[in-house]
Amino acid sequence: MIRIENLTILFESFKITNLTIQIEEGNFHFLLGPTGSGKTLILESIIGLRKPKTGKIWIGDQEVQNLPPERRGISYVPQDLALFPHLTVEENILFGIKAKGLGINRYKEYIQTLLEAMKIDHLLHRRPNHLSGGEKKRVALLRALAPKPNLLLLDEPLSGLDPSIKIEIQYLLKNLHASFHPTTLCVTHDFEEAYFLADAMTIFVDGKVEQVGKREDIFLRPKSKKVAQFLGAKNLYQAKVIKNDESSHRWILEINGLEFSIPKNSSHEEMEVGREVHLFIRPEEVMILREGKPIKDSLKQNIFMGKILDILEKERVHSIYLKTIKGEVPFEISIPNYAFRNLHLSIGKIIQIALRDESLWVMP
Amino acid sequence: MNFRYTMIGAALFIFIFYLGLILSLLYFVGGKGFWNALLSSHTLFSIRLSLIAATLATLLAVSIGLPSAYALSRFDFFGKRLVDTFLEIPLIISPIALGASFLVFFHTPLGGWVQEKGIYFVFEVPGIILAQFATIAGLATRLMKSSIDEISPRYEAVARSLGSSPWQAFYRVTLPLSFRGLLASIILSWAKAFGEFGATVTLAGAMPGKTETMPIAIFMALGSAHIDKAIVLILILVLFGLFTLYGVRLTGRKYRYD
Repeated sequence: MIRIENLTILFESFKITNLTIQIEEGNFHFLLGPTGSGKTLILESIIGLRKPKTGKIWIGDQEVQNLPPERRGISYVPQDLALFPHLTVEENILFGIKAKGLGINRYKEYIQTLLEAMKIDHLLHRRPNHLSGGEKKRVALLRALAPKPNLLLLDEPLSGLDPSIKIEIQYLLKNLHASFHPTTLCVTHDFEEAYFLADAMTIFVDGKVEQVGKREDIFLRPKSKKVAQFLGAKNLYQAKVIKNDESSHRWILEINGLEFSIPKNSSHEEMEVGREVHLFIRPEEVMILREGKPIKDSLKQNIFMGKILDILEKERVHSIYLKTIKGEVPFEISIPNYAFRNLHLSIGKIIQIALRDESLWVMP
Repeated sequence: MNFRYTMIGAALFIFIFYLGLILSLLYFVGGKGFWNALLSSHTLFSIRLSLIAATLATLLAVSIGLPSAYALSRFDFFGKRLVDTFLEIPLIISPIALGASFLVFFHTPLGGWVQEKGIYFVFEVPGIILAQFATIAGLATRLMKSSIDEISPRYEAVARSLGSSPWQAFYRVTLPLSFRGLLASIILSWAKAFGEFGATVTLAGAMPGKTETMPIAIFMALGSAHIDKAIVLILILVLFGLFTLYGVRLTGRKYRYD
C-alpha cells in the first residue's frame, strides 16, 4: 500500500495543505483536480524532486520522504513524456534497468511481454523523434514500467492526443493495468478519463482534498458543491429544507416556491428544517412524460410542468433546456437521440417532467 | 520604401562591409615580404602561443563555467541574480580596464602573496591565460547556461525517477542533450580568447618572443610599420575565425535531435 500523509506544499502562489492519499497495492488511483491546481507539484513532491513543507510518504512499510528520487522506486511519466531524444527506443526502455544496476537478463522476458502488449517491438532501433504521438506514449509507459516500480506516476497521460489515439491509449492503459497490476497514481483534470480507468479517486480542489472514494460514489454522490461543480454537474441549485415528512421518510425542499420531495437517503448530511442546502439533479435521470401515458408511482413525487427554451443536438444525446412554469426553475435534461426522435419536442412546447429518486442528491 | 528589400538590404550591407574589409587585405598578398612574414619564427611563435593560451584559458573557463551555468540554470540560491549580473562584467568594462584591474590586484598584499607563493602573472605567459580567462569566463558561462536552459529539467526528473543520481542524470542526459549548444559555446569562447588583446596587453605586456600573442603581434607589427607581417597575422586570425564559425555550424547540424 502507498500512503501519502498530510503533504503540505507551499510554492509560489500554490498552497496545498494536508493532502492525504492512500493507494491500495495494484490499484489505479486518480488524483483529480482543475488545471493549475498544483497536481504536478504533488507528483514532483512524491518523486522527491521537490521538498514538501511537511508530510510523509510510505511505500509499504518504508518511509521514503527523506530518500532521493533514485532510491524511492517510483517511476514517472510526465505530461510531455520526456523521452530521451538522443537514445533509441531500446536504450530509453533499458535506461532505468541500467541506471539501477539491475541485470538486464533477468528482465528480458518481462520486457518482451511488455513490448508485445504495447505492440512496439518493431520500433526498438528508432529515435523518439521518428515516432508518432501514440508510439511515444507507449514507449514512455514501457520505460516507466520496465524497472518494475513500486509506484507508477502518470501526469495527464491522455492529454494532447487526437481523439482516436486517446481512445487507443485509454484501452492500452486499462489492459496494461489488468495484466501487470502496477500500483498507479494518475493526475488529471478530466473526470471522464478517470471514470473509465480508476479503481478509486481523490478529488482535489483549491489545494485541499474534497472527496475520496470509488468512482461511482463520487459521480453519483458528490460530497460538496465544489466537487459537483468540478465534475461539471448541471442542475445544481441552492434549496431550503422546509419540511420533514416522517410518514414517507422524505424531506421537502423548496426552490423559488417549487417543492421537491427528496428521499432521506439522498444525502450524506444530517438535515433539518430551515437549513440551506444544495440540490443536484442529474440531467440524464430526468424523464419527459408522454401525454396520455400512465405514470409509475415511483415518479409521482416530483412532477413539474415546464416550457422548452432551447434544444441542443450533441453527439449521442440531445440537451433540452426548460424552465418550470411554477417557480421558473431552469432545468437541463439529457436524453438519448433515439428517445428524442419519438418525443416530438420543439422550442416553446409545454411538457411534463418527472424526477427519478436516483437523480436527486443533496449536499451541504 | 519596400519593407522586404529594406531589411534584406541592411543584411547585405553588413555582409559586404565585412567581406570588403577582408578582401582588401588580399591586395597585399603574394609579395616577397608576405611570404617571409608568414614563415618567420616570430609569426609561428605568435600562432603557437595564441593557440596554447586560448585553449588553456578556454579549458579553465569551461571547467568553472559549466557547473556555474548548470547552477544558474537549475537551482535557486542566495545571490543568484548577483552572480548572473556579474557574468556580464567583462562585456561592459573595457578589456584594458579589466587588465588594469589585474595589475592593481597584483599590487595589493593578497595579489603580491599570490605571485610570490604561486605563479607570476604580471608580464608573464600565465598573465595571458588569466587575462583571456577573465575575458571569456562570463561569456562562456552565459552561453552554456542558455544551452542548458533549452533542455527541459523534466528529462532529469525522469532520469532521477528511473534510478540515476544527480551526477548520472547530468552526464547521461543533460550533457548529451545540450552538447550541441555547449560545444558551440566552447568554440565561440575559444575564438574570443584567441583574438583577445586589451586585457592581455595590459596584464602580460607586449614582449616580443615572450607574451606576443597574435593580436599583440599585429599591434607591434603596425607600430613598427611591418605591414606585411600585420596582414599575414590578420589573415590568419580571419581564417581561424571563419574556421571556428564553420565548426559551430557543423556541430549544430550533427547533434540535432528534433
